[in-house]
Amino acid sequence: MFRKILIANRGEIAVRVERACREMGIRTVAVYSEVDRHALHVRCADEAHLIGPPPATESYLVIDKIIGVAKQSGAEAIHPGYGFLAENPLFAERCEKEGIKLIGPSAHSMRTMGSKTLARKTVQAAGVPVVPGTVEPIATEEEVLRISKKIGFPVMLKATAGGGGKGLRLVKTEGDLHSSLRMAKSEAKSAFSDDSVYIEKYIENPRHVEIQILGDRHGNYVHLCERECSIQRRHQKVIEESPSVIITPGIRAAMGKVAIEAARAARYEGAGTCEFLVDQDRNFFFLEMNTRLQVEHPVTEMVTGVDIVKEQIRIAAGERLSLRQEEVKQTGHAIECRVYAEDPDNNFMPCPGLITSLRTPGGPGVRDDSGVFEGFEIPIYYDPIISKLVVWGKDREEAVARMKRALNEYVVTGVKTTIPFHIRVMNNRHFLEGNFDTNFIDRVFFPEERERELPHFEVAVIAAAVQLYLGERKRAIAARPVGTGEPVSMWKYSGRPGMPKIL
Amino acid sequence: MNYIATIGEREIKVTVEEVGVARYVVTGDGKGHLVDAHQVQDSVWSILYGTNSFEVDVQRRGDEYEVLIDGDCYKFTLMNEQLKALSRAGGKAAAGKALVTSPMPGKVVKLLVAEGEEVKSDQGVIVVEAMKMENELKAAVAGKVKEIFVKEGEVVESGAKLLLVE
Repeated sequence: MFRKILIANRGEIAVRVERACREMGIRTVAVYSEVDRHALHVRCADEAHLIGPPPATESYLVIDKIIGVAKQSGAEAIHPGYGFLAENPLFAERCEKEGIKLIGPSAHSMRTMGSKTLARKTVQAAGVPVVPGTVEPIATEEEVLRISKKIGFPVMLKATAGGGGKGLRLVKTEGDLHSSLRMAKSEAKSAFSDDSVYIEKYIENPRHVEIQILGDRHGNYVHLCERECSIQRRHQKVIEESPSVIITPGIRAAMGKVAIEAARAARYEGAGTCEFLVDQDRNFFFLEMNTRLQVEHPVTEMVTGVDIVKEQIRIAAGERLSLRQEEVKQTGHAIECRVYAEDPDNNFMPCPGLITSLRTPGGPGVRDDSGVFEGFEIPIYYDPIISKLVVWGKDREEAVARMKRALNEYVVTGVKTTIPFHIRVMNNRHFLEGNFDTNFIDRVFFPEERERELPHFEVAVIAAAVQLYLGERKRAIAARPVGTGEPVSMWKYSGRPGMPKIL
Repeated sequence: MNYIATIGEREIKVTVEEVGVARYVVTGDGKGHLVDAHQVQDSVWSILYGTNSFEVDVQRRGDEYEVLIDGDCYKFTLMNEQLKALSRAGGKAAAGKALVTSPMPGKVVKLLVAEGEEVKSDQGVIVVEAMKMENELKAAVAGKVKEIFVKEGEVVESGAKLLLVE
């Protein structure tokens, strides 16, 4: 087993990996940019190394710097988390060359699955059903237009190197193509340093269901059942759950089998996820394989009891999988809400800034994977995710109720967060019924929200009026002529009974 | 003290009277309520309305309020009655502001127009990136780009002037 692991990431996921390492008795090495000196992942690590200026392209994405720190600190392995270098085959290759174990698949597996186009080819050859579209990245705008017309609008433009909703654009009509292509390419360039895109037919009203797999280098594979990730905004997952309400034991077994076949075809090692679109007739199509730890992995951990990060580390150290397929049990129901520093009441505008106060939820069945603390200033340079709130319940009904009460306990001030948005989703009738697809938030939820009557206007106005009143009173006292409003030394009355306390 | 709350088209007169430590009688729409209000955590208040307990996050920008209760956001304006009367007498501020400002802290990724260029209303004029998402900001009015205050690559604060359309 490793004695020391470098975590090439920041925020909640770096903290998550550090937690696993700590519990396994492994020393942790953090890296940080100039704005992250105070960040939680630095505070929680055994060692920390400065790797450069705030922009990720000058710090967290610089392979030489990460490798340099690994060598200097004597780390035997690197955990890349998600994002940044997590699915970069050049980084995987470099680690292989330097004799440092990357906790994740080989460069070969990453190339096969990380390039979405090559992945499609590979799994198609293994008999896995895929969404219609191109297999090669597309060079010119003319070609994009030609192919889009051929498979028919609406189409999705996707960054070849993409993931996490970056470099992804839905194009409904020919007229939108030019600006969508520009945005997709530009986002892809800055997020992945690769602006190539490909096209897929847009499947109407699909659900997004994915299978978590684990594989070791000895050829053993298991799947840890499904996660449903259909609650998305701007093609970005915001709420995930396991099990999915539409997946029967039969479909689960079939999807699991296909996911394992896909992994095997890429000689995949470590934790990975096969994403599928499920249409209204419950046909499933392979979408892509994520060759990394997923943001939403805790949902699976809660229902299976498997610590996926620890499994990743054990697999990377050459151990065999600690469980067989028949030992995988999906118990109860888990839900995750991604808490972003965004303002849900002003078009989800990003809200970087200082967290002036924080109360995190607790109680039975609640897990908060957070990367922040009270007094932390959320930088503008990185993902807006500040925490993942995860709950477990004996069934979906209890899990939803528990999530709702945990969200109500969660108080963050100083920056706006998406907590209120999540509360509203938990109250939505269709969500409660499990009746939704990937377009639910934009097409059903938001329109319904605009019509919904709010129950506590009176209390809202009263609270504001009291606050305004107290503000005016304070100013009035401050503005009093000298002699009446003068501050009194707090020592003057101290210890004398019967005198009012000076606050 | 008297205040005017404006919710959409509706105006409600609200009176606050302090009746004890952190206790107030608040009258709105003619009904008076005993309220026990404590500021417990930064912008968050614990309100006992009768004996019903509420946690209320009160955010204010000028006269505009955004109040969060149980995940719902209540938007309204609230003004001192006298100040409101004064501001009415002063008339409305010049309408048709054509200044494009940054709604959040971020980085200017791309200027889509140049000074002197004609733009249409709702045309994208500048792209500002924050937290890896690019946000295309649009001109509120049609006209000519009078002045650009920022350069590509510049980091801007929330509310920073970006460009002026006239």
